[in-house]
Amino acid sequence: MSYLLDKRLWLVSGKGGVGKSTTAAAMALAAARAGRRTLICEVNADERIAPLLGHAPVGPEVTPLEENLWAVNLRPAEAMREYVLMTLKLEALYKAVFENRLVRSFVRFIPSLQELVLLGKATWHVRETDRAGRPVWDTVIVDAPSTGHFVTFVSVPQVLLDTVPPGPIRRDAEVMRALLVDEAVTGTVLVTLPEELPVNETLELAETLRNQVNLPIMAGVLNTFVPPRFDDAMMPRLSRWPRLEELAKRHQEDSARSASSLARLEEGLQVPVHLVPRIFSPRFGRPELEAVAKALAPLIGRSP
Amino acid sequence: MSNPEVLKEALAGLEVLVCVGPGGVGKTTVSASLALQASLVGRDAMVCTIDPARRLANSLGLKAFGNVETRIPDAIFEAAGLRPGAPLHAMMLDMKRSWDDLIGRTASPEVRDRIFANRFYKALSTALAGSQEYIAMEKLWELRRSRDSGLIVLDTPPTSHALDFLDAPDRLLAFMDNEAARFFLTPARRAGKVGVKLFSLGSSFVLKQLSRVAGAQTLEELGAFLGALSSLNEGFSERARAVKALLADEKTGFVLVTTPAAERLDELISFHAQLVRTGHRPVAVVVNRTHRMPDAELWLQAAALDDELRAAVERTLSEARLLAERDEAGIALLRQKVDTPLVIVPRFGSDVHDLSALAQTAAYLVGDRAP
Repeated sequence: MSYLLDKRLWLVSGKGGVGKSTTAAAMALAAARAGRRTLICEVNADERIAPLLGHAPVGPEVTPLEENLWAVNLRPAEAMREYVLMTLKLEALYKAVFENRLVRSFVRFIPSLQELVLLGKATWHVRETDRAGRPVWDTVIVDAPSTGHFVTFVSVPQVLLDTVPPGPIRRDAEVMRALLVDEAVTGTVLVTLPEELPVNETLELAETLRNQVNLPIMAGVLNTFVPPRFDDAMMPRLSRWPRLEELAKRHQEDSARSASSLARLEEGLQVPVHLVPRIFSPRFGRPELEAVAKALAPLIGRSP
Repeated sequence: MSNPEVLKEALAGLEVLVCVGPGGVGKTTVSASLALQASLVGRDAMVCTIDPARRLANSLGLKAFGNVETRIPDAIFEAAGLRPGAPLHAMMLDMKRSWDDLIGRTASPEVRDRIFANRFYKALSTALAGSQEYIAMEKLWELRRSRDSGLIVLDTPPTSHALDFLDAPDRLLAFMDNEAARFFLTPARRAGKVGVKLFSLGSSFVLKQLSRVAGAQTLEELGAFLGALSSLNEGFSERARAVKALLADEKTGFVLVTTPAAERLDELISFHAQLVRTGHRPVAVVVNRTHRMPDAELWLQAAALDDELRAAVERTLSEARLLAERDEAGIALLRQKVDTPLVIVPRFGSDVHDLSALAQTAAYLVGDRAP
């Protein structure tokens, strides 16, 4: 049994609207609590993580949020600049070359370059070291793009290896792919909801990741899980109140769907599926994130 | 208050409905329900999706459908206790095939073969960001042209930035009409060739630096690819402009779809503003999966139950109340920020994934049922 805390790169994905960002934010909180220097990355998104944690949006600079926790919103323009600077070394060269209008319009057509620099930036943080050669980050969490775009995102190294002739881009793609498929480094978590279509989509995604991208999946997270509340012995006692009976029946259906979703995910994903109960509160903020983090403790693990 | 009459009118009077909104709000379901409703009341309709996850096929009771129009068989209607008044078609876009078709229609056989053989082509047609959005729009235009009447409902892809697809024609125009390709290729063109000798300016300092980053061979092959593509420039530009015109046409309407949960609303509100600003016409905001408020009577009934049962029922009621209050707050915010009529669709007990469930959604969309 492995834990997320054993890995340095955590990738969180799922269909839009399943609670992917809240899950990633809760994980970041837990990692920081466990004493890990943690960086949480959003990828070219309308920023949600820092606000969820009760902070102002951070933008494209790595920004401290609280003890042991930093956040960044990776954006293509900034990531591109940094990527090129790493290769060309000199700011002046970058300006001369990449701020040339012709070059700018040309560079856009290198396929998946945008995804490459974003994924490149995220994986670079995993390898980033300080002057003494120690890793800067214990844990890098990526709130990755949702289902459809996630495949594109993590396939970038392979697409480039298939497309691009030997050269610097290809070398970077090789490094990235090696990191992504290394189970000792990377833990991929798929978040979903207890409903038929999101579960279908998650299972399809898992299959694509396994077969086409060769990306191992570490765990599933079933969000807004509804445990049973009304058992069959209770139902007949409600028969005098048809509308209450209807309410209870709805709840039974919800929890039955939760149970069957769990069974399908466990069978299809072949990895542990962790449950996050549905949280009832007027808004989703810090206390709610704490509750999610608590529910995910068996996945995240504890600091030794 | 729900204003379903706006959708009823749109279904009768418009030719194209584009459903837009954040991912995971039931956009595909709403698209399919709208097309189904048109068919049920006797208007020929077609729903078109680019959804990579095959959700539409699922909800129409079909296993899958390729890049071709599939007519929903009467048997599927009958199984759901429904009777189509006019044919209902569905189509799911295959990205690669749509690009192949587009290139095939625009290019001479020789240029076409050169493009298909280039290794950058596959990346363009399947992986290049924004190409999905463009090909969806392009297909919409193609469909509109080939169908005399009837309604087309387009379910847009789940984009990370919901308006990507509105810029898609412009981005493609920029792509095709790109300065760099013209600059690099002009000498070759003049010599009567297309797409060779990208590096006739090979000693240029800028190009040398660029190739340090991208690799010289990459640039050369990419140059050849852009060269072949740019010979299609005229055909492409014309089409991209036609696509843009179609989106802004008075017979085209946008249906924004959302759930009332607060975290989805900011996105929707800015989305709506952008649509209006860019001269597009929002016809309705569908607020999907809205929780109903349990009425006071239920609390009175619960009070009469034995302790165990009462605790379980009251807990369920307070959860339902909380969700309904949260949704009411979301809807109030929407009303304040958006001047397009709202259409409220309640959350159903079960997933919407068959034709009768789509018909149920449709009934709320056009006001045959009240939320």
